[in-house]
Amino acid sequence: MVVYSFYIFDRHAECIYKRRWLPRPSSVVASKSSRPTSEASAPATAPPAILGQSARTTDDDAKLIFGTVFSLRNMARKLGGEDDNFVTYRTSQYRLHYYETPTNIKFVMLTDIKSPSMRVALQQIYINLYVEYVVKNPLSPAEHPGGVGVNNELFEESLEQFVTRVLS
Amino acid sequence: MSVFSLIIINKAGGLVYQREFQPGLRKLSTNDYLVLAGTFHGVHAITRTITPKLPLTVTAPATTPTTASTPNVTSPSATSTPMPSSAAATSSATAAAAAAAAAAATTTHSFPNPGVPATGLETMETDKFRLTCFQTLTGTKFLLFTDPLMTNIDVIMKKIYELYADFVMKNPFYQLEMPVRCESFDRNLTGWLRGRA
Repeated sequence: MVVYSFYIFDRHAECIYKRRWLPRPSSVVASKSSRPTSEASAPATAPPAILGQSARTTDDDAKLIFGTVFSLRNMARKLGGEDDNFVTYRTSQYRLHYYETPTNIKFVMLTDIKSPSMRVALQQIYINLYVEYVVKNPLSPAEHPGGVGVNNELFEESLEQFVTRVLS
Repeated sequence: MSVFSLIIINKAGGLVYQREFQPGLRKLSTNDYLVLAGTFHGVHAITRTITPKLPLTVTAPATTPTTASTPNVTSPSATSTPMPSSAAATSSATAAAAAAAAAAATTTHSFPNPGVPATGLETMETDKFRLTCFQTLTGTKFLLFTDPLMTNIDVIMKKIYELYADFVMKNPFYQLEMPVRCESFDRNLTGWLRGRA
């Protein structure tokens, strides 16, 4: 099973954490330890339009993913009732898993299409990693205005371990 | 084992057919269904563009500064199209370097399933239903809402497409891209689905 990327959105639709496991051709080591803020700044220097399509940054990807899961979640609520939850979708190339906490924090993970349901895994990331290292950290801000995001070494390290050891 | 409803969306994102077969989903107003069809049409396009792109290992060292900073330039549809001449002007390097970078940019990424073209959303699951989307070659989308545990949806989808071809497309009074009002299509569809259940 391959995990491509992982995103956390807070209740204000802000992307507070993003992490991609795509091996970069330039420097895999640099992207491994980079914080979400530094990772986003790297592709910002891309030329605006090549091949008739503007080069999307990881920031734009996060926004597109948020828009997608937000629309699908609303669609699920509308058709299935208020207690229905959007769980996952699949295309021919990848699968997106979604988990939303009661406080409207959204966890999104993109994996390959052969992966089983990751709902429990996302729940574990929330309970065992996010709550333990981010929520219980007295220095961590409750809200993340301006896109500072989750900037927590312990959380990032344990997420890395969880994805590389437990999931693959 | 139940099929809740069927929605057909034309290639422009307009709702052309909506029918409920079995209760299970909440009923929406016609306007809400129109909004849902349009929303899904947009989401379907976006899910294709956010396909993860896997970089291939590049050996040419001269192109790495350009290619490393543009990880997403290769669009799913434009991989085989030739470079427009304006793209070369965006690069500050020499024309030869730009051309080399462009050649590298078109080949440095691959999709997770290289043999299969990137599609939009195919199935979506929630706690209460499963949505299966089938897009025809002409862009019409068939959305089938079923029970999450239902299997063999491909067979149902194929049959629905067959009935659509037989009773809608072969209807001389049907206007393309317009709402489907074909009594025989309705009749055959409900009859066939009832026969299965």
